[in-house]
Amino acid sequence: MTIEDREYMIHWVGSQAVITMPAEVDATNADQVRKALLSAARPEVPVLVIDMTRTTFCDSAGVHAVITAYRQAAETGTQLRLAATTVQRIFTVIGADQLMPIYPALEAALADTADGQAGPPGRGR
Amino acid sequence: MKTAISGQKRPLPNPGIPRAMEVILGESPAEVEGRLRDIQSITDVGLSRLDDQDLLAELLKRARDILRGDTAAILLMDPTCGELVATAAAGLEEEVRQGVRIPVGGGFAGRIAAERRPVVLDQVDHTTVLNPLLWVKGIRALVGVPLVAAGEVIGVLHIGSLAERRFSSDDVELLQLAADRAATVVKSLITRKERIAAAALQRSLLPAALPSSGGVQMAARYVPGEGAVGGDWYDVFTLPSGQLCVAMGDVTGSGLAAAVIMGRMRSALRAYALETVDPAEVLAKLDAKMQHFEPGALATVAYAVFEPGLEQAHVCLAGHYPPVVAAPGQPARLASVAPGLLIGAAPGVSRPVTSLRIAPGTLVCFFTDGLIERHGQTIDHGLDQLCRAVTAQRPDAACAAVMADLVGSMPARDDIALLMLRHSPSGGSQP
Repeated sequence: MTIEDREYMIHWVGSQAVITMPAEVDATNADQVRKALLSAARPEVPVLVIDMTRTTFCDSAGVHAVITAYRQAAETGTQLRLAATTVQRIFTVIGADQLMPIYPALEAALADTADGQAGPPGRGR
Repeated sequence: MKTAISGQKRPLPNPGIPRAMEVILGESPAEVEGRLRDIQSITDVGLSRLDDQDLLAELLKRARDILRGDTAAILLMDPTCGELVATAAAGLEEEVRQGVRIPVGGGFAGRIAAERRPVVLDQVDHTTVLNPLLWVKGIRALVGVPLVAAGEVIGVLHIGSLAERRFSSDDVELLQLAADRAATVVKSLITRKERIAAAALQRSLLPAALPSSGGVQMAARYVPGEGAVGGDWYDVFTLPSGQLCVAMGDVTGSGLAAAVIMGRMRSALRAYALETVDPAEVLAKLDAKMQHFEPGALATVAYAVFEPGLEQAHVCLAGHYPPVVAAPGQPARLASVAPGLLIGAAPGVSRPVTSLRIAPGTLVCFFTDGLIERHGQTIDHGLDQLCRAVTAQRPDAACAAVMADLVGSMPARDDIALLMLRHSPSGGSQP
């Protein structure tokens, strides 16, 4: 999947916002990714699913973008969820599962009926 | 940039003259062409043979002469603190010699950098500029423009006049043209200087010699990446109580700013290691310090405390990969160490400590992700490749084997740090 410059697909599934991340996230596009994530982590968005199921490469610049989004989401009350396959290990090593639940598939992230309220992040199931 | 048109319009002889030059009226076409050549001279081939300071000085002289000014100065942005530093001057050398620094947004140069547009002053005193040198020198008028390269403000170029003068919009246009040409040259200069500085800083912070006493053998590799220099580091030191401590880390970001943060982390970790032998507490204190003093910075750290005699290692991870461990006669594998959250992400985090038994002859390999991350392959593939390349042998040979297999002829973009320790085999039976 190719993502046009600055157009990261944000779509809604019910009351959950889903942002689809590019196949590769690195220094060349991490800034745009960060901005897209920050624009989606808003008080009106109770649940934001970061879909990295099609992402096969993510370096520290990409991690930085996701962590920055987490910090803002903690203030806006948006519950973040991460769906990742190939790059799941990167986020597990970083300890991101202590910040947001990590799912092996998008469907699992969406199906989780945990209440999307502000509060401490839930542990992944 | 809009420019006022004044004076009588005259036909220009050379259709190749850039649009901006058409507004320079009241001058003969020959004078206009002369000024154009002056601008082009800003970045002619002769300049590229000069070294850094000479290059800037020459650029400034030419810019000053083009505008018939008396003083010229370039201030460059210091990326670590958002201040403009006087770097070169012609006719105003005191600015440089006295280490003048102007915060972005403040005074004359600071405003230019913050607003990214030219400023003209026909009054130079404490109400209009921050730097007293300017009016002490007797400068009566100033014109300054931002230096922009790749969309980023990298500095400010200003020209001053000792006589009363109104710098016109034409002067501004000319100076901006000169600055635009100078900016790309200055940018590559800065990049080169930063790379050298970051590399020097990193080299100075890596342990001068790895302790190789008693029961431990050690070897390390540090290879700066192809992109800007990054924030990888490793450290090895012994505590007064006899434990051997190993730290390996990776500050997110690159260039001099990351290297500076990396240096601070290394110092702080050493200080906390002296206070407590509990690896989790050391990382917790490091995390608190970073979150307070470098908000927004993120880093991964692997920290291990080896008992004297090396039979046991207590490992705590902050977002970093666990070491690869190769026991004699067994395939190497990633040590089973519970993950912990990286540094800088959230306050008050606790991290588990895992104790590993290190039998004699066992090799422990710490690494940063630059070693295993490659476009076109998954991270798991990189980790498998690493495990296959590590065998329980002398650390220097093991380092060579890993670098040959994983880097080989394909250079990594990111920094690579690699540190191998081996609990010496008992009885000297193994090489």
